[in-house]
Amino acid sequence: MKDVKLRILSSGGYVIHVDVCSDVSPECVKAMHKLYYTLKKELSGSIRELVTGVVSLALFYDPREVSGDVLIKRVKELWEWSQSAELTDVYKPRSFVIPVSYGGDLGPDLSSVAAWAGLGEDEVIAIHTSTSYTCYTLGFTPGFIYLGEVERRIAVPRLETPRVKIPAGSVGIAGRMTGVYGLESPGGWRLIGRTPLTMFDYRRDPPIPIAPGDLVSFKSISLERFKSLKEVFVGDYYD
Amino acid sequence: MTIMTSLHITHLAGVATVQDLGRYGYRALGVPISGALDVLSAAYANALVGNRPGTSLVELFGSMKLRTGKDVIVAVTGGLPKVFVDRYDESPWRPIYLKHGMELVIRPSDRGGVSYVAVAGGIVCEEVLGSRSTYVRGGFGCLGRPIRVGDVLINGDVDVDRLWSEVCDLRPVLKPGNRVPRTSEPLVVRATKSIHSEQLPDLEVLLNSEYVITLESDRMGYRLDGPPLESSSKLGKLPSTPTDRGYVQIPPDGKPIVLMSDAQTTGGYAVALHVIPPDLDMLAQARPRQRVRFMEVSVEEAERHTSKYLSEVGRPLLMTAEGEEY
Repeated sequence: MKDVKLRILSSGGYVIHVDVCSDVSPECVKAMHKLYYTLKKELSGSIRELVTGVVSLALFYDPREVSGDVLIKRVKELWEWSQSAELTDVYKPRSFVIPVSYGGDLGPDLSSVAAWAGLGEDEVIAIHTSTSYTCYTLGFTPGFIYLGEVERRIAVPRLETPRVKIPAGSVGIAGRMTGVYGLESPGGWRLIGRTPLTMFDYRRDPPIPIAPGDLVSFKSISLERFKSLKEVFVGDYYD
Repeated sequence: MTIMTSLHITHLAGVATVQDLGRYGYRALGVPISGALDVLSAAYANALVGNRPGTSLVELFGSMKLRTGKDVIVAVTGGLPKVFVDRYDESPWRPIYLKHGMELVIRPSDRGGVSYVAVAGGIVCEEVLGSRSTYVRGGFGCLGRPIRVGDVLINGDVDVDRLWSEVCDLRPVLKPGNRVPRTSEPLVVRATKSIHSEQLPDLEVLLNSEYVITLESDRMGYRLDGPPLESSSKLGKLPSTPTDRGYVQIPPDGKPIVLMSDAQTTGGYAVALHVIPPDLDMLAQARPRQRVRFMEVSVEEAERHTSKYLSEVGRPLLMTAEGEEY
């Protein structure tokens, strides 16, 4: 694969950092997912925690149990193996549908996204809801999901100045990625709508059922439906 | 029926939260680890009152007064805080027996920025995803918010008199003063190279300059002022990568931020260095205006220091007043 440029390095005496690519593309993300689930399966006994970025991942280890050098060798071997496998050999992706009320107060940037794209708001919604996205990773704040790939026509860059406060459930676009804010937080993605579902519930374990590699699509709903679905947990919602 | 209350917060100037040693295992879902900033001090405070090192306790930036609702055993660690019981001086880093109705006062001295108050039995409150650490921005863990005046913290049941006979003359083997920054000299923190070190041609600036902790520092990160790393802005937009405590991020203005326990789990800034865990605890004790220098160590050295440190966190080294190992 042309974009893949594996880079493995040690940090701090207890972290191995792996960059799969320097730029984001669906192919690179898939290569990272294959590696992630392979490492999760093969190394869970010898590392403490495994965390994904968009095209990178970090292994946290206890240097009393294993050295970074040994882990790096293992990661290199498992990288070769993982890339010859299919993702479904190591992980069975699940599908989620997220209902969204687009535009208005719930999606304050929909009109400017439409203007940027030279399309009507309805067309932006139609494009956003017609794609089956892959969950690239979770991160930034609890339950924030990074999804891709957004069609080029509506891949509007993030805001120059981030908002201080974004409500939980807000759905945004930033370039070729779209995402959902799990909790209220600051953020710079262009907000086109909001889901009534509770995306992150700390009283459940896991607090969000969506994992890297899972498939997520959006469905446009009315304001009435938005109100009736308020606070339904994302894992309990079936379309 | 009487409710056994334990610690009534009567005065608070600063920020106090309940923490333990962190919420590990959920970073892959975007949940920060939270937990004590000075991990070793928190582990010692617990050990001094007979608790496991990872028991929930109070983390305090500033000063606090509390009154006991029953007999309890406490220990105050951290930097070198001033401790008073009913107005009499007490020592930090020692177990203290507080009779029902006594007042405990904790004030910062001129050395050290954060204090830990452990109580035998631990603080009983909501456990979330395996931890009682408070993540204030997410509104969850223990109280789900900072401690306020008027709060009543409840501790777990212990046989206070029996426990006191075991712990009364315990003290740490380490000398607390040796791990608290001095204002007269820069604090030197050891760090390894990290994710983007090789892509920052002016990394030497970071390793050869003196920085100062700014007032815009909190549980997410300590911000440093000093010579900027101009090259960071040339790296452009980086895809978000996993982060951790101790990562030295370089935002576009070139001024380093050292990530702390409440830092977000992924970030898009360049990571220039990684402060090793024992030294991050000491950095956590630095107050605004403290001068700081970074010193590079190899990964092998970092593994060695981290191993020793993790063992000490897991089993703090205590001795009796006669100097016998506990």
